[in-house]
Amino acid sequence: MMKSAEVLSLKQVSKSFPATLRGGRPIQILQEVSLSLEPSTSIAITGRSGSGKSTLLQISAGLLGCDSGQVIFENQQISTLDDVKLSMLRCKRMGFIFQSSLLLDDFNALENVQIPAMIAGCSEKQARKRALELLQTVGLADRLTHTSDQLSGGERQRVAIARALVNEPAVIFADEPTGSLDERNAQLVEDLLLNLVDEHKVSLMLITHNNAFASRCNIVYHLHDKKLEVNA
Amino acid sequence: MNHSLLRLMVLRKLGHRGSRSVKKRILFNILLIGLVVASLVFAQIFVVSMSRGIADKYALLGNGHLQIHETGELELGPMEGLLDTQLVAQSYALIYSPQANKMIRLKGVGPDYFNEMRLSQLTMGDREADEETNLPRILLSTTLAEELQVEVNDRVALMLVSQNSIRPQLCVIRNLYDSGYQELDANLVFCDYDLMHRLFGGKEETYYELLVEQSRMKIIKQELAATGYSVTSWDEENYSVATNLNTSRQAVLGVMVAVAMLCGYFISELSRELVEDDKHKIAMLTLLGARKVFIRKVYFTTVMVVTAVSVGAGTLAGIALANNLGPLLSYIADQSIPSLAYYLLDFVIVTPVLDLLLIIVVLVLVSMVSVQWSLRRVKVIEPLACTHFD
Repeated sequence: MMKSAEVLSLKQVSKSFPATLRGGRPIQILQEVSLSLEPSTSIAITGRSGSGKSTLLQISAGLLGCDSGQVIFENQQISTLDDVKLSMLRCKRMGFIFQSSLLLDDFNALENVQIPAMIAGCSEKQARKRALELLQTVGLADRLTHTSDQLSGGERQRVAIARALVNEPAVIFADEPTGSLDERNAQLVEDLLLNLVDEHKVSLMLITHNNAFASRCNIVYHLHDKKLEVNA
Repeated sequence: MNHSLLRLMVLRKLGHRGSRSVKKRILFNILLIGLVVASLVFAQIFVVSMSRGIADKYALLGNGHLQIHETGELELGPMEGLLDTQLVAQSYALIYSPQANKMIRLKGVGPDYFNEMRLSQLTMGDREADEETNLPRILLSTTLAEELQVEVNDRVALMLVSQNSIRPQLCVIRNLYDSGYQELDANLVFCDYDLMHRLFGGKEETYYELLVEQSRMKIIKQELAATGYSVTSWDEENYSVATNLNTSRQAVLGVMVAVAMLCGYFISELSRELVEDDKHKIAMLTLLGARKVFIRKVYFTTVMVVTAVSVGAGTLAGIALANNLGPLLSYIADQSIPSLAYYLLDFVIVTPVLDLLLIIVVLVLVSMVSVQWSLRRVKVIEPLACTHFD
């Protein structure tokens, strides 16, 4: 395989889900979708609910298999990787932010950020130092020992951003990161995410309904009728 | 994967700095497993102590640990572990009171027969018979006295069979003893060795009764046999009793081990519960790149820590409970409850270390296997599952 400059590329990816009713036809979600993500760039994918945006993100991150086509992440075809390699890839080269922050509620903010670093092999001390820096960057220096239920929605999402960045990934996959936040918090998270992505030279694949947020990315795709179209 | 992460995750699963519900669940499981282990340990100690107590009664009052079937003078050099040697005689007779009669084992013993070791196995009555009588004096158990409806100072007749003749002998009851084990007491009557010899005129069975240290019994028996003596041990003399005691102990140990296995299997329920409740967290950890092997290790370690603490606490509780049982057993024995009449309630508590070790090892091994088995379900939790809770 030729080495390419793209950090992520999807080639002719199709995906359908089995019919929910017996005898029904499979539901086609994506049809020969291709996209590429360059290093330190951001792409946004918009589309109406149920159009397959999240499915596209999950396939891109190797969380879901595709029926046909190829997903290549940093020159490795994801479908050929075994569980261990895929786990390592997710741990060290990918960051995830979802609509709900999905923090580990047994752990405080600092631990939530330091855990992925420790999974990646950092010592407790190193992981703590890195987590502390990131939490300070996202403005949560005074919320280090707060657990998930002691943080507001916006604060939880900021912890999730710090967690996604802790292992200095190549790509951050963000699925509606501001979807469940009020306008003020959504703006705060939006700014923070885009600034940090820029600052840390990370690529971003963003799924959003928010056109204003999407327009701040380098490329905006629109998913419509199973196909991906580049917005002007 | 570093150990500090494992430690951090296990501590949190165990409720360290965790929510009250997590702590409650862990404590509840520790209590539950601990209670089962304590019951197992207590029951095993009780059964082993009781059967050893019965064996001691037979050895110390019935036949001695070892018997040398010799009537002449014994020539024993200094022997390590040999505690006491007594020449005794025994025969069988019928005992008659005005109200009842019974076949008994009459045992003739010397004046220093009831030494400290033997006296520790029985309770002598406070009341001794009056001295002014020429009749032979015998020592009956309270059990037999009740059956014959006689008391100290009462007269009973012994129907003796000697030299092809049957003749009665009137005796007076010197005192009553109680060994606490009615099976033995029911037919054992003591009298003086000289009287026995006089009554049976040499037809009685005479032998030497040896008390030895338990740990040295086999060696001493071998040494005596090598010297040319005909030696038997108490369990050979009381074969059915010894076999029954041994079989009962083995059977009870078998039941305890089976319960330990069930308990071990029950422990896997805890891991199943933890994984079921933590599906979302497991999916999240997988998404963050944690390997399934590591996640399984976290849950396995957590459950095994709970098991170890429960087993440790349960074992200590069982041993403590068993060792403080003496006063309660004495109290129950004093109540003379008819349904407990044939149970030995006065015995020394011994801790059967090997039996307890077997129970604990089986429990821990079964729990290890069953927990590993139940943690297979971690494998099927996909990282994407965490977004289903989104």
